[in-house]
Amino acid sequence: MTTDLGFWTLQALNALQLSMLLFLLSVGLTVIFGLMHFVNLAHGALYALGAYFAASFAAIWGYWAAFLLAPVAVAGVGVLLYSGFIQRMRKSGPMAQVLVTFGLIFVLLDLTRIVWGDLPLAIEVPAMLGGRLAFLGVEYPTYRLFIIVLGLVVLAGLAFVLGRTQIGAMIRAGVDNDEMAACLGINVERLFFCVFCVGCALAGLAGAVAAPLLSVSPDMGLQILIPTLIVIVIGGLGSLKGAVAGSLIYGFVQTFGAVLAPQLSSVLIYALLAAVLVIKPVGLFPAKG
Amino acid sequence: MFHHTPFRYAALVLLASGALFQAFTAQYFGLEILTEILILAMLVLALDMVAGFGGMVSLCHGALMGVGAYGYAVLSTTAGLTPPVAMAAAVGITAGISWVIGAICSRSHGIYFIMATLAFGQMAYSYVFEAPIFGGDDGLGGIERLDLSFIGVDLNDTRTFALFCLVTLAAMYGLAVMILRSGLGRSFSGVMHNEQRMRALGLTVWRIKADVFGLSGMIAGVAGVLAAQHIMYISPGLMAWTVSGEALVVVILGGLGTLVGPLVGAAVFVVLKHELSSLTTYWHLIVGVILIGVVMSRANGIFGFIENSFAARSKTTEINPKAMEVTKDA
Repeated sequence: MTTDLGFWTLQALNALQLSMLLFLLSVGLTVIFGLMHFVNLAHGALYALGAYFAASFAAIWGYWAAFLLAPVAVAGVGVLLYSGFIQRMRKSGPMAQVLVTFGLIFVLLDLTRIVWGDLPLAIEVPAMLGGRLAFLGVEYPTYRLFIIVLGLVVLAGLAFVLGRTQIGAMIRAGVDNDEMAACLGINVERLFFCVFCVGCALAGLAGAVAAPLLSVSPDMGLQILIPTLIVIVIGGLGSLKGAVAGSLIYGFVQTFGAVLAPQLSSVLIYALLAAVLVIKPVGLFPAKG
Repeated sequence: MFHHTPFRYAALVLLASGALFQAFTAQYFGLEILTEILILAMLVLALDMVAGFGGMVSLCHGALMGVGAYGYAVLSTTAGLTPPVAMAAAVGITAGISWVIGAICSRSHGIYFIMATLAFGQMAYSYVFEAPIFGGDDGLGGIERLDLSFIGVDLNDTRTFALFCLVTLAAMYGLAVMILRSGLGRSFSGVMHNEQRMRALGLTVWRIKADVFGLSGMIAGVAGVLAAQHIMYISPGLMAWTVSGEALVVVILGGLGTLVGPLVGAAVFVVLKHELSSLTTYWHLIVGVILIGVVMSRANGIFGFIENSFAARSKTTEINPKAMEVTKDA
């Protein structure tokens, strides 16, 4: 085993980059769950859609336009999903929601195949972020650093909005007790709708930034779904803190597990999830006591 | 509690005669499809037992089936046990693992239970995917079928094997009905309806859940052993979470908590899959639309829908309790 400090810095940066990508995805999912008690398995499919939109837009207007437009387009799809299915499924049990969104995964996956074909697409990393940066004694791809910074910016933004603004206070009140919040004159339904759209946009953003790293293929949504669910269940559903903690735990366990114990790495994260559920059945930082 | 209504008996007779007719008249391809239906039916029977009657919506039943399949494959080839011993051992191992999973997850409810079982299923999947003893992502081949030549039955014949699966499925159905009607099964349903009350009555809730989950895993293990013997080759794809998801879809399409419905669902699903995939490569799209339609219509699956409309017309039989509603407050 290497004792080189640079090696560990590199792994830590890799872990952080994976964590931030998962954070972008899981924060939307977890807040939607916390606020609406809605289990949206199609969140991964929205991420894949974000990557596809980004690939199409980037081919026409370049990367930065794609970076801005893909989340908007995915939020648009979110509006359609919300008015078509989710609004109607709000009052059903978790099982019905899991099944409807499981069906949506099938539908969205095949729709992307029909529109964009089966072959993986690729996006170029924008020229500005193409090189490598010397950082803490290691050379690290600028684009990956950009993902880390982006994740931290989104985290800071969300923490500010949720913790320090009136909208944030309304959202927290809605998570805590939606009936009471409605009694206090908050339009909880409209709040739900806005949060859902922001969650979808974040999933689209995650897809857009992941697209240059991975190839854009129809099943990328299915592949990311399980890690995202693990993150929010370890962290505890509904809380920002939980999404941060869950993403960091997943990113570091996955990355360092692969380095230190390659045979066990894939089992490790599932074992950790099982352990968390046994010890704290509602995750580490659940939104409600 | 599970009841056999005249309508359910009629449906069973219809299903059995349809399967028998198919088994004696169909050619090779038809028999393969029949066997596929029968094995899937066994898996969804096991799943309906826990999901429909105890609210334990498991996303690891596909993996449990895989444990049975891999257990049989490794024990009968690498370990060199004779097929009957390997079968019994594989089913026993699956039941044991399933009991442990049930015991560990018994405290979780709703979405957490789904996630916890998903975690265990994926754990098994990733382990098998990497472990050389299980052939990794290449899978395992050279699996033998059970030798019943001493009573003059040759299971290497496709028709005979289909009939063998049918007989096993009938036995498993009988077993599931017996379990659900026993004291254990009644307590299990009681736990779904009101866990607090069952605890107040002095029952050990986690034991009840673990016991039924173990028995359900045993049936899934039998399905796995038959799946391994059917294809004579297994790959980790058998254990992926989407298999469990599909099994859940079949249970819902058929009718949760009816035991007969999932059998109907299995037949419909496999036939639909083969018919649609020969028409279009986008058959998942159609299955997805059907699934969304069935769940949003709030009918309890195909069978549940027909059963309820019959019951509403005659008013003689009790309307099936809406098991889907019960999981709401879990």
